[in-house]
Amino acid sequence: MSNRVTEKRGPSRRHVLVAGTAALAMPYIRPSWAAEGPIKMGMVIPFTGATGAYGPEMEKAAKLAVKSINDAGGLLGGRKLELYIEDSETIPTAGAAATKKLIEVNDVNSVIGYWGSPIAMASKQLLIDAKKVMMVSCAANAVTEEDHGGLIWRFQAKSTQWGPVGAKILEQRGYKKVSVLAQQNPFIVSMIDPFVEQVEKAGGTIVDNVTYLPEQPSYRAEVEKVFGANPDAVFVPGLLTDFTSIMKEVYRGGFDSKVCSLSLAADSNGRFLEAVGPEVAEGIDHFQPAPPIESPSYKAFVKAMGAPEGTVFLFAGNAFDQVWTAALAMEKAGTDEAAVWTEAIPAVANPPGALEQDGLKCLEMIRNGEDVAYVGAGADCDFNDNGDQLNRHFLHQVIRDGKNEYVQTLS
Amino acid sequence: MIAYLVTIATLVSIAVLIAMALNVQWGMCGMVNFGLAGFVALGAYTTAILTLAGWPALFAVAASVVVCAVMGGLLSLISMRLSEDYLAIVTLGFGEIVRLVTLNEGWLTGGALGLPGIPRPLVETIGSENYETAFLAGAVLIVAIVYFGLERLTRSPVGAALRAVRDDDLVASSLGRNVLLLRVKAFALGGGITAIAGSLQAFQFSYIDPSQFTAIMTAYAFMAVIAGGRGSHRGLILGACSIMFLLEASRFLKDVIEVLDNAQIAAIRLILIGAGLILLLIFRPQGLMREYRLSAPRATAATAPPPTGKE
Repeated sequence: MSNRVTEKRGPSRRHVLVAGTAALAMPYIRPSWAAEGPIKMGMVIPFTGATGAYGPEMEKAAKLAVKSINDAGGLLGGRKLELYIEDSETIPTAGAAATKKLIEVNDVNSVIGYWGSPIAMASKQLLIDAKKVMMVSCAANAVTEEDHGGLIWRFQAKSTQWGPVGAKILEQRGYKKVSVLAQQNPFIVSMIDPFVEQVEKAGGTIVDNVTYLPEQPSYRAEVEKVFGANPDAVFVPGLLTDFTSIMKEVYRGGFDSKVCSLSLAADSNGRFLEAVGPEVAEGIDHFQPAPPIESPSYKAFVKAMGAPEGTVFLFAGNAFDQVWTAALAMEKAGTDEAAVWTEAIPAVANPPGALEQDGLKCLEMIRNGEDVAYVGAGADCDFNDNGDQLNRHFLHQVIRDGKNEYVQTLS
Repeated sequence: MIAYLVTIATLVSIAVLIAMALNVQWGMCGMVNFGLAGFVALGAYTTAILTLAGWPALFAVAASVVVCAVMGGLLSLISMRLSEDYLAIVTLGFGEIVRLVTLNEGWLTGGALGLPGIPRPLVETIGSENYETAFLAGAVLIVAIVYFGLERLTRSPVGAALRAVRDDDLVASSLGRNVLLLRVKAFALGGGITAIAGSLQAFQFSYIDPSQFTAIMTAYAFMAVIAGGRGSHRGLILGACSIMFLLEASRFLKDVIEVLDNAQIAAIRLILIGAGLILLLIFRPQGLMREYRLSAPRATAATAPPPTGKE
């Protein structure tokens, strides 16, 4: 502000100007290969923050799909598919900035990924305004509730579909007095009401219904309140870290109530068992929207991911399907114009086309003018008019002697 | 590209406002506020709830400024009995309270699901075509007004009194300053500014939820103020811009470097910020810019008038 000449006080105006100009210019200096030609897709997934653990497997799966498409000659008459990946940092505002960058700078025609409903919620308006396709892996109903012009596709079961499945499992086990200990987050809170409804419909009673906050240093108070009342079973939908602490607390307290949870907490690709050991984990029922585990396409996918046979990927399969569904729809529509190919998604994903699990075969069939219904690695990939995935099956497993045992597939 | 820069610039404006609020409270008056994100959330939620209830944007923002200012003032009253460290804990508690209320009072705040569909002001008048740019212009204008207001305040006797309270409240009070009143004012002013920042955030995303207002928001504000030079409004603008520049520009790193995978790049981006801050503190512990002070040559020429106690 002042124009007094005083001793040296940091960067001069000139320095600031030069730095500022450089800053503005930097993003314009683009490598030449990014010019005309490739079809560009974006992906926003978490690599840092509370959900950072889920990013890498989704990245790997999406890249797998992109690679096999490009190795087979690309799309739309030989154009390569390019995937730009951004970190959502598990912060909605950062996810939205990343989305904006992908749309404006990388000029993508769609953005996929979106683990975590708040991030999808903060970003969706940007994509709708830009008329780009959005494919999400998150569950909150609100993401597809309002009109989105057919641009949003959910590769996940809606939260409200999860609750009744938990209730059915407890009902089958013959537990009548049931409590809920649920994490306070948008995805989980929306499954509680349908859970309670289903329990009561089946003649059960809810003893306690408690929500807790993630990242608490201790869950003793919550555990003692819920398990202390000695219900037959407790439904504990949470995420890995808090569920681990809760189960340790339950074990320490010596409570007898049975526990049912989500596989993303009680399995989490084996990390739960690693964290607590077989004794604490014994007898926990858990479920999640299942990939078609027995299908050849899922088995091939697990192998391609380099994971041991029988691994249940909850999110990676969805990311894989997002790339494939988009690619097939583009090929079908004959354009990479998002507003156009988004309308072709039901045509390549839903019946009555011939069911086909191999993406490359699907591409071939589309090129031959045949009707095809892609069956993905993560799900059947059928959608309703709202963009929500239909026919999600849930896999119910139980932990016995430190191993996951298959119980049943529910729908 | 331009639209992306516009978005980033808007986010920088919001970050600058939050940092300015902190600078008034902590930089100038020496009261640590770890509950900053809570204030921003309070402001954002007040504005969002009122506009969703049909209030015009301007009134909603005004109301949220009042709410946050009053809340800030009340909170600072606690400093009557507590010295600096304890106030820090109290503000931390305040931030938690706001977070818990927004998470759990679903009937009012939408709980963990947040509040979608917050109407953006003047959308019909401006049209969606140029709205982002117009919004940025508005945000920059607000930053400019707040900046010049604060610069004036800094140069005024009140500014000097605030710094005196910060440097030694006993001396300030023995010179006849009403320390408590000054603190309340500083905290209320800071609270009001955070409310504006929160309102802008609500309008920018037209969706708010509790996970937008986490401790990292407070941390970035502290970084901006520390990097910029505590007490210097100009410095913190530079500080906030540099942090945002590092964060966003590093997004482009991986489009160029293909050796590292995304998880590594993501970690490196955050390491970059940390390393930058450490280097800065080693080589320029006073920050990028210096706080306003009567400069030495001039002070000797026109001996600065001592506080008179009439202020």
